[in-house]
Order: sequence, then C-alpha cells, then structure tokens
Amino acid sequence: MSKKNHDNEVLLMKGNEAIAHAAIRCGCDGYFGYPITPQSEIMETLMDLAPWETTGMVVLQAESETASINMVYGAAGCGKKTMTSSSSPGVSLMQEGISYIAAAELPCVIVNVMRGGPGLGTIQPSQADYFQAVKGGGHGDYKMITLAPGSVQEMADHLVLAFELAFKYRTPAMLLADGIIGQMMEKVVLPPFQPRWTEEEIKTISPWATLGKPSTRKPNVINSLRLEAHEMEDLNNVLQGRYREIEKNEVRFQEIECEDADYLLVAFGITARICQKTVELARAQGLKVGLLRPITLFPFPTEVLKNYAKSVKAMLTVEMNAGQMVEDVRLAVNGKVPVEFYGRMGGIVPSPDEVLEAFKKKILISPDSYRD
Amino acid sequence: MTEEIIIAGFGGQGVLSMGKILAYSGLMQGKEVSWLPSYGPEQRGGTANVTVILSDERVSSPVLNFYDTAIVLNQPSLERFESKVKPGGTLIFDGNGFHKFPTRTDINVYRIDATEYAYANNESKTMNMLILGGLLKVRPIVLVENVLKGLKKSLPQRHHHLLATNERSIHIGMELIKKVN
Repeated sequence: MSKKNHDNEVLLMKGNEAIAHAAIRCGCDGYFGYPITPQSEIMETLMDLAPWETTGMVVLQAESETASINMVYGAAGCGKKTMTSSSSPGVSLMQEGISYIAAAELPCVIVNVMRGGPGLGTIQPSQADYFQAVKGGGHGDYKMITLAPGSVQEMADHLVLAFELAFKYRTPAMLLADGIIGQMMEKVVLPPFQPRWTEEEIKTISPWATLGKPSTRKPNVINSLRLEAHEMEDLNNVLQGRYREIEKNEVRFQEIECEDADYLLVAFGITARICQKTVELARAQGLKVGLLRPITLFPFPTEVLKNYAKSVKAMLTVEMNAGQMVEDVRLAVNGKVPVEFYGRMGGIVPSPDEVLEAFKKKILISPDSYRD
Repeated sequence: MTEEIIIAGFGGQGVLSMGKILAYSGLMQGKEVSWLPSYGPEQRGGTANVTVILSDERVSSPVLNFYDTAIVLNQPSLERFESKVKPGGTLIFDGNGFHKFPTRTDINVYRIDATEYAYANNESKTMNMLILGGLLKVRPIVLVENVLKGLKKSLPQRHHHLLATNERSIHIGMELIKKVN
C-alpha cells in the first residue's frame, strides 16, 4: 500500500486499514491502542504509514487497553482529537475509562471491531456488544454516540463523522463494527486531508481544554468526581440534556426497498448487508420484503420504526447475537406488529438464504406468533 | 454480471493471495468488488478460504452460501463446497492428493493439475497463478491485462520483477485446465 494516494482515487483495502487512513486524514492527533484480532491492522497500518513524520499524529502501543483509554482521556482533556480501537474483550477493559470520559464531558472516538464472546471468546465476527455500546457498558447514566458502519467506505466516513459528533456534543463516540467489516476488502475513496488543529484553533473550538492557564481566566478543570450530590445531579442533567439533543438531531438510518414492503427486516452493520441480499432473494420470489438499517444505534431510529409499524405486517430483527437490538425495535414498535428475532452467536455468520428461511419460518408460517 | 467465487484450500497454497489478485483485477476493470477471507483458526494449518465477488452493480452481501464458481485445492474443501455450487455453475479442482472426485453432473467440472506441474517445473510459488490462468480460460471474467495491472497493485514493489513470471504462469494455466464433464 503506497503511503500517498491522490484524492478521489478508488482504492481496495480492508475496513481496518480504511480506519487508519481516515484517522490520519481527518487530522487525528493521537492513537493509543493495544493489539487484538480482528482489528490489529488498524495499528499496523498506522505504524506503517508513520504519520508522526507527516501530520505529527502520535501512534502509541500502550501496555494494555486500560492504559490506552486513559491515555485517550488525558489527551482528550487537552482538546486533542484522540482515538483508540480494540475488539470486544479489550473494549470491556476500557469501560471504566469510557464512563470517566463521558462524565468529564470529553470528546474521543473508540472503535470496537467486535468478535464473539462472552469471555475471551473467539476471533470470529459478532455483534454481541450492542448492549455494551448503547446501554452504557460502564457505570452511571451515560450514553455514547454509536455508529454502525456497514461497508469499508463507511469505516472511513464514520470515523470522520464520529470525531465531528464527539466534538459537537463533547461526548465519546463509538464505531461499532465487526470482524467481517474489519477484515474484508472493498472499494473505498478516502476522505480529504484536513490539517491537525493548531493550539490556537483548539482554544477556539474547545475553550474548556486544559492547555495552560492564562492570567485572564479561571482554571479549566477536567474531573469526573463531584462529592456534593447536588453538583453530581447538575452534571447528570447537563449530560441528559445533551443526549436528548443528540436524539433529536443525529438519528441516521438507511431504507432499502421499504416503500411497498409488507414485511421489514431490521439489521445493522454487516448483518444489514447480508439482509440486503435476503431482500433481493425474497423479492425474486414475489415477497415484498424491505430492510431498515439503523446507522446510528444511539440515537436509535425509534420514530421511523414506529411509523413502519403502521404499514408493515411484521418485522424480523437479524443480529449476530442472542437478541439485543430487537429489544429497542420492540420498544419502538410497542406491540403494534409482531417483531421476531433471528440470530447466530459465538462468531457464526448467517448467510442470506439462511435469513430468508428464518423469515419464512418465523414470519410467514406462524404470523400470529407474537411472543414476548 | 455478477460472479460469486469461493477459493478454498490449505493455508499456504496462496488461496487468499489469489483472491486478492482477482479482486484487484476486478478493481482495474472498473467492477464492484468484495474480498472476504476466512481469518479464523482455519488459516493456521487447516483450510483457508476466500469469497470474491466481482459485479457490475454494488455488492450487497459479501457473505454467501452458494457460488457461481468454486475453486477447491484440497479434499476437505471439495467436500465442503461441491454442494455449494449453483446449478450450471463451475467447479475447478487441483487433483493433487485427491482420493474422492467431484460427482455432480449439473455443473461444469474442470481439473487443473497445477500442483503437479509447479513441482515438476520447480515453480511452486506461482502455483496459484497457474490456477488463476485456468479460471480465466473457462470463466473470462476479467481481462488478463487487468490481472497484470491488479498484480502490480497488490504485490509490494520488491516483488515486481516477478510480474513476467506470473504472466507466463497464467498462460500455462490456461493450457493445463481440462474439462472433466
């Protein structure tokens, strides 16, 4: 892979590699991480591209995931664009740090290229960290903006978007990908180069950043500890207000063949790609099936699902887990139509025709089978 | 046109690289492409496989269960993927070490003794290019000139002196492949 490429050139690369390229191009200041399959190519590519020689971006292999996330915490406190990446067990280790970063109102990006769990699990792809990402894997009432890329192109695009949103709302943002998108190669056009922010720019963009205190203002304090309960509730109110803003402004989703659909598949990330083929297969058999793909998992496209509950007969949520996002789909639909679930676990990936069979069995053959 | 291909064999036979070269060739030909490797424990000594899709339209699922073309380079891969070829599709196998052979009659079966040729001619490193040549003879999905451009893209600079050897192997592979049924 050449280190320089012309803008708009169509390249072929892995999702993990696309993340590394996009990080450098969007003016990221620092990457701190610890290797784990299936996402090690992110740091490998960064090391290979050596951005410290060009943009000045720091790339550092920390001694553990716990160290990585705390390095991100520290650098983010200085208003820097910082990120880390890992896979499921590593992201579990980061949860305490993420909660601290959320409480300290700091922007950063965390990439989770999910693998099968629980425990050390397997290195094969999975989507079983949905709950951890959108329900707050760490302690306390916090939320993370969670983007679910469905292609190599989106791995690059969503990394840039994640930084934008993280800074807009002063909150950690996560890219929730999986082993397939990380490992597969597809065509990608990399985002344009943006220079890293200068210290003056950081002072304007992030006046809260701890860059050295001039005599003209009070010290900026980065802290997640409030011993006074009222103060802690005040902070919670600020955070919750921001989460409501995010829910209002930042919902993203994709509709595929939904206009005339009698039935809706709901899936995110790579599973949405698989379901897209299922839609093609179903349509070829005369079944009016559509696909709704949430792109943001938090904020979740609740309203759009609520609306589809008025026009479709039933929904099937498909995930590579035991049934996690399906709970949010059911909350959105609120019992208006049956919402069934099909999933594979532990690193097994469903095929498009397998999903079609599940659809026929769960939705067409037993249409009155709405069970909780 | 969409061509859904699985290439499977032992780790070390060049299965993933062959898929990569094919994917880059598709890129050079202006096609939509996806390349999905098995990256699991099977890569380490067991069987490795890669799914390559070349299409004129956007690729939906990179994960498939049935294929237009299967290239199998060892017995376990034949057993796993023979039944996954779509009716009317293509199965290419390298007969080296096989004790059971394809039995389906509703698909086009080709044999290419690339391993045997490669060892006899001391060219084991270009074995996968012989097979790629065989594939292009029976399924001309990409032009050879685009394969060469793709090779140049996917090979590191230090290996570019091998391009001519690889091109020769592609043409030899085209001669080696034989239809079985």
